[in-house]
Amino acid sequence: MNQQSHPQPVKIDIGDGAAIPSKKDHGLFTAWWVSFIGAIAVLTYLCVFYPSPYFHILSFLPDGIVVTFQVTFLSILLSLVLGLVTGLGRLSRNRFFNLIASTYVEVIRGIPLLVQLFYIYYALGRIESFSSLPPLTAAVLAMGICYGAYMGEVFRAGIDSIDKGQTEAARSLGFNRAQTMALVILPQAWRTILPPVGNEFIALLKDSSLVSILAVSDILRRGREFASESFLYFEAYTVVALVYLIITLILSKAVSRMESKLDYYERS
Amino acid sequence: MLRRALVALMLLACLGSPALAKEIVFAVDATYPPMEMLDANKQIVGFGPDIVRAIGKAAGFTPVLKNTAWDGIFAGLAAGKYDAVASSVSITEERKQAMDFSEPYFEVQQGVITAKGAKIASIQDLKGKTIASQMGTTGYFVAKTIDGAQAKSYDEIGLAVEDLYNGRLDAVIADSPVASDYALQHPQYSQKLTLAFTIASDKPEYLGIAVKKGNAEVLQLINDGLKKIKANGEYDAIYAKWFKKNN
Repeated sequence: MNQQSHPQPVKIDIGDGAAIPSKKDHGLFTAWWVSFIGAIAVLTYLCVFYPSPYFHILSFLPDGIVVTFQVTFLSILLSLVLGLVTGLGRLSRNRFFNLIASTYVEVIRGIPLLVQLFYIYYALGRIESFSSLPPLTAAVLAMGICYGAYMGEVFRAGIDSIDKGQTEAARSLGFNRAQTMALVILPQAWRTILPPVGNEFIALLKDSSLVSILAVSDILRRGREFASESFLYFEAYTVVALVYLIITLILSKAVSRMESKLDYYERS
Repeated sequence: MLRRALVALMLLACLGSPALAKEIVFAVDATYPPMEMLDANKQIVGFGPDIVRAIGKAAGFTPVLKNTAWDGIFAGLAAGKYDAVASSVSITEERKQAMDFSEPYFEVQQGVITAKGAKIASIQDLKGKTIASQMGTTGYFVAKTIDGAQAKSYDEIGLAVEDLYNGRLDAVIADSPVASDYALQHPQYSQKLTLAFTIASDKPEYLGIAVKKGNAEVLQLINDGLKKIKANGEYDAIYAKWFKKNN
């Protein structure tokens, strides 16, 4: 009877150190290094020992790589700006901004990127003022607008995750709304936002292969052009896949570097 | 009694199917009017499909047409996803190394579509211009050989023509029946576009039906049928149906 009203405290053995393992660098044997070195090794092996199709294909791709970089980089910039504005709009007390931002997210998120690309380039191309839109610009616009909607949700969630007490404290210290957001909330939210944003960057880079439908000569289109003339589909797409993988891995490393720089808790 | 009748019916059905003609599957990229296209009922129609159906009737097999995107159409043939490709395939030396071809069924030239009044009348005028065609077609190979011109490749010839119509390109190169269909017959495009000229080549270009390398059986059937329809006038009737009425 007495035991029930005074239960023994349960002892949890958490062993040595913290329950959550720290993100220590494990040197060369991380999944990243295994994938990266693996991809480089396979590509090098193929190019050195079977130069006749593989190196030939690789030498066909560089201008495509440049185009893919251009599209990805500019789209990332555009989507970050749109994402921040949308995220803030979704949290805004102003009904009008809120409605605009929410509608943007709902509409864009509901239409496949490929359809948006077709729409902006071919469908809007029928309208006089859009008909001179170059394919690269159309590609960046479509991808930036599409990913801006996704980023908006990431920003909204990240900003929302910061304790209300932070706002209250900043406001009571005399910061106005804009200062509170820019100087107190956003710097903290950025740490939460960065991993999913990095994920979106990588998804964006891969989805940039869809712009080949606009006759933009990115990596995929260069590979397809090569394959359509030589009939070496297997070889061409193997090289294309490896090139995409290597670029994506470099981007993911850059994002994780940024993450660890922002990791206040882990920094000693 | 009913059950017995059913069994008899099923037996009949089983016996019946081998007696039916052999099926041969043809891959067709139905985005190439008037050679291959979809009609309002989503049926594959055009000069090529008519030829294939006539060949099937003459050679005693049932042709099954399968709509397939041009990109990868030859990869599908090599992978055995269908028996043949009947989709305005030009017979080229490179392709001959990867697949076998029937006897030619059509002679084709490359037609150049431009905007009306573009002052492009010869290959020389195309220098420094942006020229487009469908990826992996002989039209695109020609576009790439033009000095000082930028060649762009599209997934479908229709997309290239649309882009030309919207003013982002200077010219589109395609098989001449296709080029003339877009530039001269199409109700909307024909208002703004025209067939500027056809590229004269010293070597004639022919369309053939491609089969997987070494598939002699199917090739034989197709060639037999083609010979028969050329002999009995059916080929000429189909040719007239698709090309003579316009000229």
